[in-house]
Amino acid sequence: MKWIDVYLQEVERRLPEKNREDILLEIRSTIEDMLPENSTEEEVKGVLQELGDPVKLAQGYSEKPMHLIGPRYYDTYISLIKMILPIAITISLITLVAENIIGSVDEGSLIMMILAIVGEGVWRVISVGVQVFFWITIIFALIERVDLGIDDEDLRSQRKKWRAEDLKKVAHVPKKRAISQWEVYGAFLWTAIWGTVYFHADQLLGIYENQGAGLTFVTPALNQDTLLSYWPGVVLVIGLEIALSLYKLLKKEWTKGLVWFNTVQEFLSIGIFVWIITNERLFQPAFINYIADLFGVNAAQVESGLTWRIAAIFIIFAVWNIIDGWVKYKKGTKKTKVSHELVK
Amino acid sequence: MSQLLNSLLTEQRRGNLTLAVLSQLRTPQYGYSLVKRLEDSGITIEQSTLYPLLRRLEKKDLVTSSWDTSESRPRKYYVLSDYGEGVFQTLKEEWKQATNELFRLLEEENNEMD
Repeated sequence: MKWIDVYLQEVERRLPEKNREDILLEIRSTIEDMLPENSTEEEVKGVLQELGDPVKLAQGYSEKPMHLIGPRYYDTYISLIKMILPIAITISLITLVAENIIGSVDEGSLIMMILAIVGEGVWRVISVGVQVFFWITIIFALIERVDLGIDDEDLRSQRKKWRAEDLKKVAHVPKKRAISQWEVYGAFLWTAIWGTVYFHADQLLGIYENQGAGLTFVTPALNQDTLLSYWPGVVLVIGLEIALSLYKLLKKEWTKGLVWFNTVQEFLSIGIFVWIITNERLFQPAFINYIADLFGVNAAQVESGLTWRIAAIFIIFAVWNIIDGWVKYKKGTKKTKVSHELVK
Repeated sequence: MSQLLNSLLTEQRRGNLTLAVLSQLRTPQYGYSLVKRLEDSGITIEQSTLYPLLRRLEKKDLVTSSWDTSESRPRKYYVLSDYGEGVFQTLKEEWKQATNELFRLLEEENNEMD
């Protein structure tokens, strides 16, 4: 009997909690069915051999998936990792530079410092990579298990049967109107970069001077407290940019809704940008004086000159983006009309 | 080569197995009696596959089960449900048609080779 008990114990610890007793009872009764009366130890071993590996037997009863992430979610999982990983790494590297750039450096320790930053950078990239990988994997493994109630068959029957006619509803995307994945990708990355720079502006933007002994960070250009007081507006713009990028990813072409969203978003960011840059306390006096000395003009001229120049550049870019969206949208529609007429 | 052949064979048998098991469950059977019946008809089945399969069939309402405790040892009996009977008949017809077609296909290929 000892052989049977050990065998059943091996099965038991791998069985799902539910029905455990019932399953064990059935296996025990099966084993007894297979044995002749007053069986010898050899016969017991033979029967257990026939029943096979207890691990395999227990696996058969398992109701949980035997994989972490199955084919249903694998594609989404991989593309999400590919998208988030570079963004997370970029943000962490910008932050690293921001933290290390302050203070003067003398010649001798410059190389040491660069080495230290590179070392730290490699370490950060690895740890951020591991974090991203870990959390996305955990989330997907959970999704895989939570959904278990729905069978694959249910899922398929819920989806309407596909007919070739359905292709009519999917508009063929003309090349001119199409938004490539790389464009969306770049947009995400750009949002991540300027967002990070915004929150570390006092450490990154400023005057660097070569005073014969390596680079020295003379003065930050902006007053970080003033800059940060606009954070709700900036966070709003970041949110809208991300939403716009997701919308682009979804639509894959310039549609009327998308062009309007783009227009509204650009105008809003012009508004907030101008609002921030016209704040008198935005620039550090030391920075203004430095520029004034450099060009031999007075501080007030520098301040107004800088303000309108930067604002102008920003507005030109924003307006360019708006026009670009509309042009791509219009071009696309014209082309489709022509090709429709050709078909007729 | 042989490993590939093994996995292909397992795949091929898997579908047939359900049909074979369902066909034997029109009268109540317990685990080992089912194994015996299948083996007598020349169908070998790994027991570690069969018992979990019975559970899954029960979960999908194709068979019902009950414990018989009147004998010296308790036995779990499985029998086809009405729903299972319907599914079994459909599967059987499908299988007959499919094997006929496959058989014809393989015969044609035989003739071409001659």
